[in-house]
Amino acid sequence: MTDVLGMILAGGRVDELLTLTEKRPKAAVPIFGIYRFIDFVLTNMMISEIDNVGVLSQYRPYSLMRHIGTGEHWDFIGRKRGVRILPPYKGIKESDWYKGTADAVYQNISYIEEFNPKYVLVAAADHIYQMDYRLLYRYHIEKDADVTVCFTMVREKTPWFGYGIIDKEGHLLGYQEKPKEPPSNWVSMTVYLFKSDLLKEILKENAGQDSHEFGRDVIPGLIGKTRIYGYKFKDLWAYARTIEMYYTTNMEYLKKRGILRRWILRTNLVEGCENQDRIPTRVLGDVSNSVIGNGCVIYGTVRNSILSPGVFVEKNAIVENSIIFHNTIIQRNAHLESVICDKNVNVGESCSIGTFGAEVPSREFSELLKSGITVLGKGVEVPEGTKIGANTVVYSTAKIIDKEIPPGSTLR
Amino acid sequence: MKKEIIAMLLAGGVGSRLGILAKKRAKPAIPFGGIYRIIDFTMSNIANSDIDVVGVLTQYKPLSLMEHIDNGRPWDLFGRTRLVEILPPKTGEEISDWYKGTSDAVYQNLGFIEDFSPELVLIVSGDHIYYMNYKELIFYHKNKNADATICLIKVPFEQAGNFGIACVNQDDKIIDWEEKPKMPRSNLASMGIYLFNKEVLKEMLIDSAKRGGVDFARDIIPLMLGKKRVFGYEFSGYWRDVGTIDAYWSANMDLLNPESGLNIEKWGIKTNLSVKGEIGDWPPIYIGRNAEVKNSLISQGCEIEGTVVNSVLSPGVKVEKRALVRDSVIFHGTIIRRDSVIERAIIDKDVEIGEKVLIRKQKTGADLTTGITVIGKGTKIPSQAVANKSLNKNLFIL
Repeated sequence: MTDVLGMILAGGRVDELLTLTEKRPKAAVPIFGIYRFIDFVLTNMMISEIDNVGVLSQYRPYSLMRHIGTGEHWDFIGRKRGVRILPPYKGIKESDWYKGTADAVYQNISYIEEFNPKYVLVAAADHIYQMDYRLLYRYHIEKDADVTVCFTMVREKTPWFGYGIIDKEGHLLGYQEKPKEPPSNWVSMTVYLFKSDLLKEILKENAGQDSHEFGRDVIPGLIGKTRIYGYKFKDLWAYARTIEMYYTTNMEYLKKRGILRRWILRTNLVEGCENQDRIPTRVLGDVSNSVIGNGCVIYGTVRNSILSPGVFVEKNAIVENSIIFHNTIIQRNAHLESVICDKNVNVGESCSIGTFGAEVPSREFSELLKSGITVLGKGVEVPEGTKIGANTVVYSTAKIIDKEIPPGSTLR
Repeated sequence: MKKEIIAMLLAGGVGSRLGILAKKRAKPAIPFGGIYRIIDFTMSNIANSDIDVVGVLTQYKPLSLMEHIDNGRPWDLFGRTRLVEILPPKTGEEISDWYKGTSDAVYQNLGFIEDFSPELVLIVSGDHIYYMNYKELIFYHKNKNADATICLIKVPFEQAGNFGIACVNQDDKIIDWEEKPKMPRSNLASMGIYLFNKEVLKEMLIDSAKRGGVDFARDIIPLMLGKKRVFGYEFSGYWRDVGTIDAYWSANMDLLNPESGLNIEKWGIKTNLSVKGEIGDWPPIYIGRNAEVKNSLISQGCEIEGTVVNSVLSPGVKVEKRALVRDSVIFHGTIIRRDSVIERAIIDKDVEIGEKVLIRKQKTGADLTTGITVIGKGTKIPSQAVANKSLNKNLFIL
């Protein structure tokens, strides 16, 4: 697909992931042990043979930049292939932070013009799916569409998404962003294929307005005015808008591993060369129904959990139903139940985390955190013998002093 | 580009005693410890000793080795003044031939050495498992004002006949040298690591070549004795020549024993994880609901539903339900189907072991073999096959 340029929307922070997006954009949040959110869309672009991709990134892009590196892990390296991070910049006229997804693409029109593609594929970096965009491309050409928006069917009509009304011929008849009463079961995957000239035109028009989001502003405005179509994607798709959805999506991986193992999925494991220094995983304890990254050392018990590379579980420690990011250490006799633990956390001896008070919702995030999950931010030190109740969030800046943290707390 | 020291890594070995493991690859390229290859130990030692120019002398089936070394980046041997160069045999105006031996290989690449005008040249081989900081060797060499220093290690007298053996005086100067002696007078064995003053090396190589010499141990060292200051540097850490199936298997098992002295992590051993995208393309490890894993090394992409005990698994190994793998070394992408039992085996890449296959520990024979079963790359073992006859030799299945 040499006439398609990929643009990935990877700037978002997403407050609903609490401390996981404290220091990184959502696109760079680890998932399924060794991956990051952006791997799905990057891999999709790779298998669709899109040669050039721009990544629009604004919020703390450093970890994302490191992860993408030269792009070689997704084969985006070569004389005519490349992936570029496109941060906000200062120009003579235009100079500003990205004011929204549409504005981010608008500010990089010159990047698009460099390649002069016939089509531009705009896709968000935080959806989990495997898709060959060439099918979308063929559909788009077949329908002689100006714009094609991808949709996937949901059973539960939650208000998080943009909903589309698609007729039998595929015309997109209506689109509502985050409606109170969704008009259909088809939600937008934030994957849009545009005719390049049209995209430039509508972005210029949008730039004059006050709000600059594809979903909220651009797409609804196109309905009835252009040849806009909906493409129904029918394979496995997942999304993790909130911390609880993030947890469930990870845990689903343990169940749907079969499907996911058939996916082609690429990631950068040699980031900063740190993986070159990791030994294979050493299992001496008891592990069952778990996904483990390389370089882990497990003396204790790990059940129904997902461990990223380099996690150390000491003797008699128990990790259950938890998601543990890179290089975290769980010391002797510690017990973790339904914990999401960011990188480089040190859980001291005999700590007990998330093991009590699952019925007490978070006081600060009562809607987001009520199902008994505990979240520890990057680099948190949990002193020996500390007890932390469920539905607690510990931000990376917090110092834990108390021996017992009641359930539903927030520490900053 | 001027360098104080460069390394020449001998990686041409056929490894014939490793049988089918070395059938399709050079010995240094044989996988080890799950994700590593044997050559990683020497490459990492070089890099960790801040030696940043390496010539790798290859000859036998170099392809997998070349892919593995790539541009040297995994060992940080990549940059404007840091490099790894693969030096295969070549034809030139005067010299043109296959490498006839270890010293001949270096002799044919004197031009490469001269490019860097080094004072010292470190000659190492790519088929040993050990950790050494060559800086200490360099310090010793300079201190002794030596022309050449040979690394020596004490071996049991009964094994000394397999090595080059040195006799040293009180000052550690080598006064006599025997290559694979029947009646060894010393048990100080050569580790195949030599540090030379470049000028002396050049002189000796040219001199020896004139006389038809091609091998460091057989020709160069004896030629130097009496004429040059040759010293022995005694090394006492973990060092294994994994040239036989038994030694190779035991060294892998040493990885599982913290007392063995083999500690990849502490040694800072690096490898190339990106060959053909190998590591990044595997999903993470999955250990199933009824799986049992005891004292084992498991690499990325492994899927374990059965039992794995005291074993080393390379990436992408699948162990199905109720299958048992014990005391074994399994290479990349091999599948062990349900209800099979694998004990004391070394199984090469992409092997498929059918259901209910029995590969049991072979009875140890009088010829000191440990009864290991070796299965060659890509072999398919049909269901219900049995390999547990009392054999006196290691069993090879091709």
